[in-house]
Amino acid sequence: MKHLLYKDMKLCMVPMVPLFYGFALMLLIPSYPYLVAGFFTCNSIFYLFNQATMNKDLLFCALLPVSKRDMVKSRVWLMVLIEGGMLLLVLGMVFVNHLLHPMGNPAGLDGSLTLLGGMLVLFAVFHLTFLPAYYAAPYRVGRHFFISTVSVFAWIILCEGFCILCAVGQGVPLFDWVEGRLDCFPGTGAALRAQLVCLGISGGIYALCTLWASNRAQKALQKACL
Amino acid sequence: MPLLSVKNLRKEYPGFCLDNVSFSLEEGSIMGFIGRNGAGKTTTIKAMLNLIPRNGGEVLLDEVDFFANENRCKQEVGLVMGAFDCYPTRTLGAIAAAARPFYPNWDEAAYRGYLTAFSLEEGKKVKELSAGMQVKFALALALSHGARLLILDEPTSGLDPVSREELLDIFRRLMEEGDKSILFSTHVISDLEKCADAITYIQGGQILASQDLISFREGHLLVAGEAAQLPQKLPYLLGYKQSAFGFTGLIARQEAPRFCDCRLAPADLESIMLYREAKYEAPAI
Repeated sequence: MKHLLYKDMKLCMVPMVPLFYGFALMLLIPSYPYLVAGFFTCNSIFYLFNQATMNKDLLFCALLPVSKRDMVKSRVWLMVLIEGGMLLLVLGMVFVNHLLHPMGNPAGLDGSLTLLGGMLVLFAVFHLTFLPAYYAAPYRVGRHFFISTVSVFAWIILCEGFCILCAVGQGVPLFDWVEGRLDCFPGTGAALRAQLVCLGISGGIYALCTLWASNRAQKALQKACL
Repeated sequence: MPLLSVKNLRKEYPGFCLDNVSFSLEEGSIMGFIGRNGAGKTTTIKAMLNLIPRNGGEVLLDEVDFFANENRCKQEVGLVMGAFDCYPTRTLGAIAAAARPFYPNWDEAAYRGYLTAFSLEEGKKVKELSAGMQVKFALALALSHGARLLILDEPTSGLDPVSREELLDIFRRLMEEGDKSILFSTHVISDLEKCADAITYIQGGQILASQDLISFREGHLLVAGEAAQLPQKLPYLLGYKQSAFGFTGLIARQEAPRFCDCRLAPADLESIMLYREAKYEAPAI
């Protein structure tokens, strides 16, 4: 597995992956749907897959002494590492965001652990919609990414829209709870606890969806013609 | 003992079926794998290496089930396609560095030796290489990890005669070293006349013959006769062509007594394939 990861780093890595980490700086914008930053990470991963397809990476790997299952697993680990890097950057930017914009974000989710949780689910949606489809038909990578993009943006609109609804719907107990506990800088106490629970649940969803998508992708690659 | 045994390999596509393909390749020999375009040569190779899912059959490498021991068997196999067109913008050095850790038997000295022998520069990008040089690079990779079985899929098809001869020399030298076997798929028949020990002939997804080159050649005769003789001789011809002067055709050697009133000549590999294909009509799709 580590050899495959090394091979990916050496032969498949595209400049978009480090460059698109720069979209974590979106959290400096005073009013913006910050979850969109997560989409750009998916976008950089798409470039990586697209480049790999154009370079006949699957054929090259299939001739190496590795199983098709390991080929998928190593690529999934690479995705997890790329997404993990983005999450760490966004975590750092959450503090900067709070310093610059202590009144929060009127355009959606505030800089918070809930934002990180939302981003984890966003990545999970991306894995579910992109991975099995890609390994079933690698040469239709653009079509798979389009479907993933629609799904990811549906999640972004759902999340950010709900936060806007909570902000304007003051007085409704559920909305007030969300505003006071989840959609704010975590600080300490009840909000931090609620957001850690939210992050934990999102992490669980991310892990389950990634495992499921990875298994489906492994089965799809067994049937694919390289 | 055969190094490679393919038994009843089957792959079904809509409109084409690789039908129970079986053959075996002895250690230290070159087997020509011939057939016209679309006959199933590449499909056979891909099914053998698990690059496409198969509908049945088994592949044994040194008596070991390839599909059950894929990683182990792939250590022993090197595939060289018509051109090495993976990662065109990467350098040869980067590709070799990425491939090297997968092979415990990687011989760095041998790799350097092949680079020098083939005039390959590590700093060059794949896209900067000619088709012949790409084949040589793929060959260098395969030989450096100690592959005992080289599978060559149309490696000389796009090359000029000088480059082809150069590659054939390399294959012959490898055979002289003695421990390698080559399955050489091609439709450039003249290449095989120069280096193959055995022939496997595939037509429409079915193996027509698999035997040593000399007995394959000697098992056939070319025949020429007058047009009036053709109707009587037709059932015994494996393939034929008619002209204003009469007919020429191919027969199995054991049918020679029936053609004592015609002109007979030894058959070469190219004529055998030409006449065999002249009779064969692909099934309607």
